[in-house]
Amino acid sequence: MDITAWTALSPYGTGGGPFAEAVRAGRPAAAAADPADVPDTEVCLVPGFDPRAALGRRGTRAMDRVTGLAVAAVGALVADRPAGPGTALVLGTTGGSAQSMTDFTAASLTGERPFDVAPAAVPGAVMNCAAGQCALRHGLTGPNITIAGGRASGLLGLAHARRLLLAGRAAAVLCGAAEEYSPARSWLEHHGRDGAPARLGEGAAVLRLERAGTPGALARVLAVASGVDAALADVARRALDRARVAPAGVWAATPGLEGAGVPARAAARMPDARGLIGDTGAVAAVFQIAAALAALADAAGRVAVVAGADPAGQVSAAVLRMA
Amino acid sequence: MVAAPRRVVVTGLGAVSSIGTGAAGFAAGLRAGRSGAAPITAFDTAGYAHATGCPVTGFDAGRVLRRVPAAGLGRAARFAAAAARMAAADAGLTDADLRGARCQVAIGTTDGGADELDALTAARLAAGPAALDRAAVRRVPAAALPAAAARELGLTAAEAITFGTACAAGTHAIGDGLDAVRVGDADLAFCGGADALCRKTFTAFYRLGTVAPDACRPFDAGRRGILPGEGAGVLVLESLDSARARGARVHAEVLGYGLNCDARHPVAPDERGVARCMELALADAGVAPADVDLISAHGTGTRANDVTEARAIRAVFGDAPPRTVGLKSMFGHTMGAAGALSAVACALAIAHRFVPPTINHRRTDPECGLDCVPNEAVEADLRVVQSNGLAFGGTNAVVLLGRHGAAGAA
Repeated sequence: MDITAWTALSPYGTGGGPFAEAVRAGRPAAAAADPADVPDTEVCLVPGFDPRAALGRRGTRAMDRVTGLAVAAVGALVADRPAGPGTALVLGTTGGSAQSMTDFTAASLTGERPFDVAPAAVPGAVMNCAAGQCALRHGLTGPNITIAGGRASGLLGLAHARRLLLAGRAAAVLCGAAEEYSPARSWLEHHGRDGAPARLGEGAAVLRLERAGTPGALARVLAVASGVDAALADVARRALDRARVAPAGVWAATPGLEGAGVPARAAARMPDARGLIGDTGAVAAVFQIAAALAALADAAGRVAVVAGADPAGQVSAAVLRMA
Repeated sequence: MVAAPRRVVVTGLGAVSSIGTGAAGFAAGLRAGRSGAAPITAFDTAGYAHATGCPVTGFDAGRVLRRVPAAGLGRAARFAAAAARMAAADAGLTDADLRGARCQVAIGTTDGGADELDALTAARLAAGPAALDRAAVRRVPAAALPAAAARELGLTAAEAITFGTACAAGTHAIGDGLDAVRVGDADLAFCGGADALCRKTFTAFYRLGTVAPDACRPFDAGRRGILPGEGAGVLVLESLDSARARGARVHAEVLGYGLNCDARHPVAPDERGVARCMELALADAGVAPADVDLISAHGTGTRANDVTEARAIRAVFGDAPPRTVGLKSMFGHTMGAAGALSAVACALAIAHRFVPPTINHRRTDPECGLDCVPNEAVEADLRVVQSNGLAFGGTNAVVLLGRHGAAGAA
């Protein structure tokens, strides 16, 4: 399976260009104090992003931010090359819009009657709202999948996308993730990490995946491996075994894989997406892959390993070879 | 396309539902046409004109789970882990068998730990966001469901993947399990779905006017909507070669899978998209429409779904479609578990040679015009059975199961 295109809607702004340029320069995105007044939290927002401004007024009145981010990012890839009927969408998430969901329940709890909720808010209270809106707005009639894998979503999405391609269920897969900043997410994340300081980010990133050997590919996904409560290095070692790549031959890798025999200098060659744009939740691994594609564009033939873990227990690693 | 895809069979079944638990208990409930309808007690239902659902009552996950303490899990994760444990036992898989196997755990869910988020929302309204229960916060993410199932089975090298595709999620998870075994990503797939009743989703369906006051009556002229339900279903899938090598009992074969998206409406299903999805599954299975003996419909019992789905069925199967049952009449709309419990029911129907009924039935809606096997199970020799899963967002999934070794299903 080859990566043939990618895009990012990130704290650097709209499109892969600004993201790639900033990653290559190692320039951190602007951060601000968390508007929700969550202690010790900074946020890296997608500058100026508003679903109505980005997508127009039609159908965006009740659209939540995560859906807007996803629709805009997928739209950039579809505009680049129209998606045929055999194009699948695989979108990662933590749990949709935590803000929309908690607002919906709060309306039920505080309204005069418990069902005094806005009907227009119903779609946003479901996890796959963003993927459904992407299909609706971009005419994507192929497989439409939402993978709720938190920070491992992007890598689990790669594993699923690969199966869709191998089983002949899609000719191309738009595989990405979206995560919004919201006060609800900020507080959940804050408590989830026992109040440790954090720098939250948001955005959406999408890869176009096609069968191995597609002309113009940027990189090949050689293998993906996963585990639960497993050491990052163990999962990476299994991914490298499947890819038939010797760990010593890895050129760039996310940190923490020395235990798998990956050279320490490989970590130095891998840009640190999280350090640059903050903790982007479900998009973390997709942004990391995009960062690797940007930083290693001139490293044809080199192998990169991107690994990630979610606090829920999922651990995944992907082995890429730059084209 | 893989040159010669491996044949994939169902060797284990686990179920948690309002009409029975475990493969045997669930099968007995299906055969008896049991109703799981009861007042909802999972949240305060004061102020709703009616709040009947299909809650799971009297089920103690702690009696099923061997490794993971039930107390640390959210309700849906408990259901998922328990169903996975039951499925492993039903498949005759010991911990030693599982240790060396390459496994996938794929769980579909609409809500994950949304019941926990509901409780946290109430706590935030009462005392502000700074004082939330941190253990409850960690039970919210949907990723916790397959993680709990994997931990329960000791599968540290498993891919634990969550399908968040709303009410089609359980069917998507089974389809991905099929593919994981077919393409060689896994030797064993534990796939299905789980959900727990929650205020958020009950209120969403209620506000749309799609919750029935008393009973779910799919394809009935007097249908009033869904009864929200809860539970979990998990199937063990493996290659036919693997099942033979270990002498496993085969409940059914997974013949094929189809998935697509209507891309037409945020919440309403579209006839053409649903028909196309069934065609994709039939083509994947290499089965002609005339060979399908039974359809387990998505059959929510809402006005919109049932007519649209019935039209789509006739578009694919012609004017004499196979018997089409709405199992949600018995155990409610279990959301992300719906497709999984439907597939478990299909496998049981094939293995035990009966058609589970559509209960609460009075008069078939002529606009639906289907033989929904009203009220009483019937004995039947089923060779090919189809299970439909349709969801918000227009995302659809269909799986086909067949009797292992039946002519036309091989």
